[in-house]
Amino acid sequence: MAQRTAAKKIERTKSGPPDALWRKIGGTYLLTNDSGHYAWLGEKDFRLVMAGGLTERHPLFSELASKGFVRNRLDFNDIAAKWKKKNAYLDQGPGLHILVMTLRCNHKCLYCQSSASGVGDKKTDMDLGTARKSVDFAFNSPNSGITIEFQGGEPLLNWEVLKGAVKYARERAQSTGKELRLALVSNFSLMTEEKADFLLKNEVSLCTSLDGPAALHDKNRLTPGGRSHSDTVKWIKYFQKRSGKQVPEYRVFKPSALLTVSKYSLPRHKEIIDEYVRLGLEDVFVRPLAPIGYARRLWDTIGYDAGEFAGFYLKSLDYMLKLNRRGVFIREKMAAMMLDKIINFKDPGYLDARCPCGAAIGQLAYNYNGDLYTCDEGRMVGWEGDDLFRIGNVFKDSYKKVMTSQATKGCVVASNLEAQPACARCAYKPYCGVCPVYNYEVQGSLWGNIPANDRCGLFKGVFDTLFTLLKSPANAEILKKWVTK
Amino acid sequence: MKNQNKKIISLTIRSKENNLDTIRYAAYAVSAAAYVFIKPAGPALFPRPSKCGAGGGVTVEFTPKLLSQVTGHKSQAGTPAQAAKKLLERFREELKDEKLRAEIFEANRDLREFMILKALAYEEPPAGARQEDAGLTPEQEKELDALIAQVESEIKKESAGKRSRDPLGITRTWEEKYGAKNRRKKN
Repeated sequence: MAQRTAAKKIERTKSGPPDALWRKIGGTYLLTNDSGHYAWLGEKDFRLVMAGGLTERHPLFSELASKGFVRNRLDFNDIAAKWKKKNAYLDQGPGLHILVMTLRCNHKCLYCQSSASGVGDKKTDMDLGTARKSVDFAFNSPNSGITIEFQGGEPLLNWEVLKGAVKYARERAQSTGKELRLALVSNFSLMTEEKADFLLKNEVSLCTSLDGPAALHDKNRLTPGGRSHSDTVKWIKYFQKRSGKQVPEYRVFKPSALLTVSKYSLPRHKEIIDEYVRLGLEDVFVRPLAPIGYARRLWDTIGYDAGEFAGFYLKSLDYMLKLNRRGVFIREKMAAMMLDKIINFKDPGYLDARCPCGAAIGQLAYNYNGDLYTCDEGRMVGWEGDDLFRIGNVFKDSYKKVMTSQATKGCVVASNLEAQPACARCAYKPYCGVCPVYNYEVQGSLWGNIPANDRCGLFKGVFDTLFTLLKSPANAEILKKWVTK
Repeated sequence: MKNQNKKIISLTIRSKENNLDTIRYAAYAVSAAAYVFIKPAGPALFPRPSKCGAGGGVTVEFTPKLLSQVTGHKSQAGTPAQAAKKLLERFREELKDEKLRAEIFEANRDLREFMILKALAYEEPPAGARQEDAGLTPEQEKELDALIAQVESEIKKESAGKRSRDPLGITRTWEEKYGAKNRRKKN
């Protein structure tokens, strides 16, 4: 009799399985859902939860119910709010506009992701008319805040046009009321006091490449005279100093740097991070190399697989955590962006990990001649002779035509994780994204084959590491600080 | 069942245990390690015609792509027999997981659609607005229902191809959306 009553009670409290995704990591289950909540469960609890049999008496009941893992205790408002916040980009339009000022470059980097051309090849310089038209096109975006990023090649090789574009963009911001952020990505080798002054006065944020200590940096980033590292460091110090002395007329941003991990970087994680700390940089973006453009040809020499990168990433993260424990604030940028989603339910603006990806609907790349591409990676594929990702030209095509082009639609469809069978089933779906350009370059189609995709393996490695670290309260405390700064 | 000469590993699955979609998705999950071919099981296994093929079962054939990929660890590739065993183990695991996913999907389909619609229509309450402990008032519930119904009807119209396929206005320019001179912030 008692048994029958108990059975009936369980039946009454059974709510059905929750809408959840899972991944088994080292004997425990990581459970996630679309609003971005997560929980760790042992085998027995996992079976119980997935059978919808969790009762109020269970010690995990209130935690799991508050996170949306108990089907008859869903807080609809909370779930809707978190989902909307995390996917806020969906109705905003492209926010990042990458203007390629020139394809010329005075460096010959081993991975040369921008597919640059020689210094004398001035036919790949953007002219002022094209720059102004590109700025106008960027201001067409319905996004209330846009970033115009000046890139190359080495953009300082086309200084007068860059200067003109900065001034014109500021004027357009005044007349439209749109929030405008300007950014320059440069190797700093052609920087002068005069240029620096102009950039700072116009609130252009500055980003450079720093691959680690001199020997490693100069091995990756070849330049006549081998002065790449010393030039970069000199100007990082200069901009650090200027940012330390703020003036009332304008904001001076701290400089930032990007790390590109080549095969040569793999055994040297400590030296790389120490170099960033030495220069007062607070973010290390441990970016994997992608076999796109020029790097694809040299992949056997400088490339690595997902497992090798995961090892490097884990060691780097571990070392950064150690430094944080010693009171040194240094954070890994990719981790910080992913943690912003995991902890704060926020979209950090990381276009590579969005659903759909940022191609065209989140960013646009403007080539020197006004050709528009879904993204900078798509432009690199175009430079290699395949214009699949070209979506228009600033002189010929309307904003609407660009947004509804075949390549835009193709990228949106291919990067919709709900439609990718492996991604739709993955516990990391709420935080992740696929790249149709990568898929096309590496696997021959926009759609790709995700189970065999090294980029997927790499992201999984990053997420495995982060979620495992978050299990430890001591690590979690540091990681949370990275996104509450 | 293994055919070492042709390097093909095969497995027969009864359809009453797993439906074809479940088998397909599980097969896709191991497609990094092997080419997978799914075909109706032969009459030897299911002698009565009604029990063959989709009605009775399927044979799943795996042709490993590379030994290292089968195990996922280059250094622990092992012998072909070990690799084949691991591949089958993984496929069975995926099949079990996929069966659970199918149940979850079926149980949550309506709820999920409702939640996505609610999230798409969700507006952040103005800063400083009083938080209602008990959730929405009946009036707000009504308003939300009306909003959801409106979004639903728009989505239906769109999927029928009768209206512009741009509910969020992504293809509209800044000026079209907000007017030409909206001086919201000085730069």
